[in-house]
Amino acid sequence: MSGLFQRDPRAGAFLGGDRVSGQDIRDQNVIAAQSIANIVKSSLGPLGLDKMLVDNIGEVTISNDGATILSLLSVEHPAGRIFVDLAQKQDKEVGDGTTSVVIIAAELLRRANELVKAKIHPTTVITGYRLACREACRFMQEQLSIRVDVLGREALINAAKTSMSSKIIGNDDDLFAPMAVDAMVAVKSVNNRGETKYPVKAVNVLKAHGKSARESLFVKGYALNCTVASQAMKTRITNAKIACLDINLQKARMQLGVQIVVENPEELEAIRRRESEITLERVRKILAAGANVILTTKGIDDLCLKEFVEAGAMAVRRCRKEDLRRIARATGGTLVSSLANLEGEESFEPTLLGTAEEVVQERISDDELILIKGTKVVSSASIVLRGANDYMLDEMERALHDTLSVIKRTLESGSVVPGGGAVETALSIYLENFATSLGSREQLAIAEFAGALLIIPKTLAVNAAKDSTELVAKLRSCHNAAQKANAGEPKKAYLRYGLDLLNGQVRDNVTAGVLEPTMSKTRSLKSAFEAAVSLLRIDDAIQCVPGAPGVLIV
Amino acid sequence: MTTLAATPAPAKSGSNAAFNDKGKPMEVRLSNMVAAKAISDAVRTSLGPRGMDKMIQTSKGEVIVTNDGATILRSIQALHPAAKMLVDLSAAQDVEAGDGTTSVVVLAGSLLGGAEKMLNKGIHPTIIAESFLKASVKAVEYLTEISVPINLDDNAALLRAATTSLNSKIVSQYSSTLAPIAVQAVRRLVTQTSSNVDLRDIRIVKKVGGTIEDTELVEGVVLNQNVVVSAGGPTRVEKAKIGLIQFQLSAPKPDMDNTVIINDYRQMDKVIKEGRQYLLNMFKKIKKTGCNALLIQKSILRDAVDETALSFLKKLNILVVKDVERDEIEFLSKSLGCKPIADIEAFTEDKLGYAELVEETSDSGPKVVKITGVKHKGKTVSILAMGSNNLVLEECERSLHDALCVVRCLVKKRALIAGGGSPEIHVSRLLANYAHSLKGMEAYCFQAYADALEVIPTTLAENAGLNPIAIVTELRNRHALGERNAGINVRTGLISNILDEDVVQPLLVSTSAIELATETICLLLKIDDYVQAR
Repeated sequence: MSGLFQRDPRAGAFLGGDRVSGQDIRDQNVIAAQSIANIVKSSLGPLGLDKMLVDNIGEVTISNDGATILSLLSVEHPAGRIFVDLAQKQDKEVGDGTTSVVIIAAELLRRANELVKAKIHPTTVITGYRLACREACRFMQEQLSIRVDVLGREALINAAKTSMSSKIIGNDDDLFAPMAVDAMVAVKSVNNRGETKYPVKAVNVLKAHGKSARESLFVKGYALNCTVASQAMKTRITNAKIACLDINLQKARMQLGVQIVVENPEELEAIRRRESEITLERVRKILAAGANVILTTKGIDDLCLKEFVEAGAMAVRRCRKEDLRRIARATGGTLVSSLANLEGEESFEPTLLGTAEEVVQERISDDELILIKGTKVVSSASIVLRGANDYMLDEMERALHDTLSVIKRTLESGSVVPGGGAVETALSIYLENFATSLGSREQLAIAEFAGALLIIPKTLAVNAAKDSTELVAKLRSCHNAAQKANAGEPKKAYLRYGLDLLNGQVRDNVTAGVLEPTMSKTRSLKSAFEAAVSLLRIDDAIQCVPGAPGVLIV
Repeated sequence: MTTLAATPAPAKSGSNAAFNDKGKPMEVRLSNMVAAKAISDAVRTSLGPRGMDKMIQTSKGEVIVTNDGATILRSIQALHPAAKMLVDLSAAQDVEAGDGTTSVVVLAGSLLGGAEKMLNKGIHPTIIAESFLKASVKAVEYLTEISVPINLDDNAALLRAATTSLNSKIVSQYSSTLAPIAVQAVRRLVTQTSSNVDLRDIRIVKKVGGTIEDTELVEGVVLNQNVVVSAGGPTRVEKAKIGLIQFQLSAPKPDMDNTVIINDYRQMDKVIKEGRQYLLNMFKKIKKTGCNALLIQKSILRDAVDETALSFLKKLNILVVKDVERDEIEFLSKSLGCKPIADIEAFTEDKLGYAELVEETSDSGPKVVKITGVKHKGKTVSILAMGSNNLVLEECERSLHDALCVVRCLVKKRALIAGGGSPEIHVSRLLANYAHSLKGMEAYCFQAYADALEVIPTTLAENAGLNPIAIVTELRNRHALGERNAGINVRTGLISNILDEDVVQPLLVSTSAIELATETICLLLKIDDYVQAR
């Protein structure tokens, strides 16, 4: 019993699980962050390459999108997970720039760790970084960004092209970029508070394999990935009156807890008839209101189909609710979930119907699609993607999503900055000068922040198999000259210089049409800063033993 | 267990008459102390504005990044019983003062160090415990003496205290946003005479999206839930009459054992129609009162609303929010000035609440239901907390809670003292002087207590990357020269008048930290045996 206390308690930890503190945990976090960044590093830029990811059930994904790659990795280290979250956040908020945000954050963290090793307190580094980040965003807004209205539609297409240049559809950007811009412009809507919105989700992207990517089409109207419920129905209806239902048009069943007891065999037939009559009455009411296109999220049984066929209407069952809601909005109709009216009876008002010029079923590759063209209230847009196989289609869809997001951001924020490493280099030069104007410890942190930004042009050049050192040096000299020049001097134009990765030169990226939305850049800089700082502030990591909490060890 | 009692006491030389400790109790004490100190060391680095964060992976695998002492200690697995006492200590401080959860544990660790030295001198634990308690009373006295009384109308003073508390958190860069929110929130609830604030009347609604800067104090009420829009009902109602109902708007179902039996086809129509009629009757009653916004309590037995009901609601232009939790009812009814309605029969107009506007907005990302312009508003406050991800949001909520507590402390005890290690040095100096006037073992204990208090400035300096010895001695020197408000200015790394730097804390935080820490270690000191009961 006296042995109970003989073990020297000072050696033992009084905490369950592992604990790593101080420099060790900082190093660990940096390594975790670096390894995450290294995975996506080679996919940055127009000449970045794709990754093939195979999950544990053998599902293959081929992607160039940072957020997609990271979401498929199973990251164990908590710091690594923060980085994966970072990419996801950028994806959600901006939709593009997911790779670069991770690379910048990892570089910021690595350089901060070096500073900490040189006996600079982490909080000093954080203050410096914060200053640098704020200054950088300000400089970007004031000096580098260009209003879109100055550049016009061309700018939107260029921004779209820049976004897709690194993706699988980059080769066909002359086809996809105008397509994406048209789609986003078509779905423009103004909400009840007078704000103009460009909902990315409102662009309906459908995938159909077969043919080449160049055969992808843009449909002005809404495409539904469904077919008419019966072959006997018409496949083309002009001047369509559309009823969007969320009702099951099948034989009525009594609710749970209601039993039907049949005592008389003649009753049986009557009950059966009544069961179908209940639904048929509903169908007739809908038809009587003038509907000739009926879309429902639920089923339609044969009995009702017959009714529709006889009335010469088109009926589509099992549509997605989300689709119907959008169709209802676009056509000016209402998604109806119950026919009950306030008198306790059932009725269907003609005002609930939406209108469109034409509803037609078309065959695209093997699939039949229903297209709703010429919607009355809001114009809508759908893009049908074609491609050799499903992997390619999936990646095309992701790439298109990124592009659409970029267009949305450009339209909403209204300004763009030159891409191709131009912004990063300009900021780096600016921050270096800014750092020397400060006489405190933060100076070092700001200088490191400036250095960290150069990772983007460097990686771009490396991925393009160009001499990164020489190119970046050239670029820096341009930007230095530009920032030293007074307003009005011709050298000021060097501010827009970025990398030309195909030819290995520097050029004016605004005239070359390499543009990115300002908002995407500022957001990614801020998020990268936040992620790096949140990891830098950690000086202790405690991993509790999974499962058994509080086992008493004395 | 007999062997335990029979453990022979190691015979010490009898000449020391003061106190002969037996081997076993000493070991128990030391083991307790070491365990408790390990806990205090674990949180030490997160003290102060330059304190660092901890990343904790809990046993469930989720990751918490925090700077809040109470949260850190709650999340780690403290194994030793003595260590658990320190965890509880921090929780107690959280309840009592809400802030200073880290410093209370650090202080306890340091006091234990002092007690250990006293034990080694051969002073009996009960004497140490008693002297420490006396010293703590004296310390509280000294603290009260230097405190500056404040008026609750002094917005700037409250803001300074809240900002000081927030500055040590991860969200420090947003202290200019959060501090006014905390001060405003509490000030709305208090009157000149109130002696406490019920923090349950301040509700923090968390929504992921936007940034911390979007956090706001809402003029009215914010709901956790969203509007039910699946049938396309309204999301904005002006001049709303709000009903808070605890029954369901769906067709009734027969009980499990009962069934409705139909034996005629005409009755089938009747069943369907009856269901509709039943709902319709309810809605007629609701409509008659003029109600146009409904909040429905969550029910596990029946759907709150079914599709027919939703379509009726849409036709009647009534806004619906469902899944209101049981424990929210009290807050909502208080803040909306309405009464919960348990049955449709009791649905009368006088139970409704009135508001200018009920609206679901998504200004800064996530959809949020806001009820503004409430007519008979109760004394409650809603804060809408935003953050870009869950980790940040949780920490934002914790920091906001701390800031609210700081302001609450000022309501409880309307006095401020300086921060930055200044009060601790002040008390330590006076206690040491006082110790010289004492005789016997008490004098030693008072001296040890005074020394132990210096851990706060030492840790502040250490965490800020300064030289603790140089800083603390200079601080002592300044205090001896009569600069009562000299403290560590962490920003510049120098000693300066800390009141000029606006670093202030409520008196209650410091006094409760000293009292709680002292009591806990006195309890620990008095333990001399450890028996594991099966």
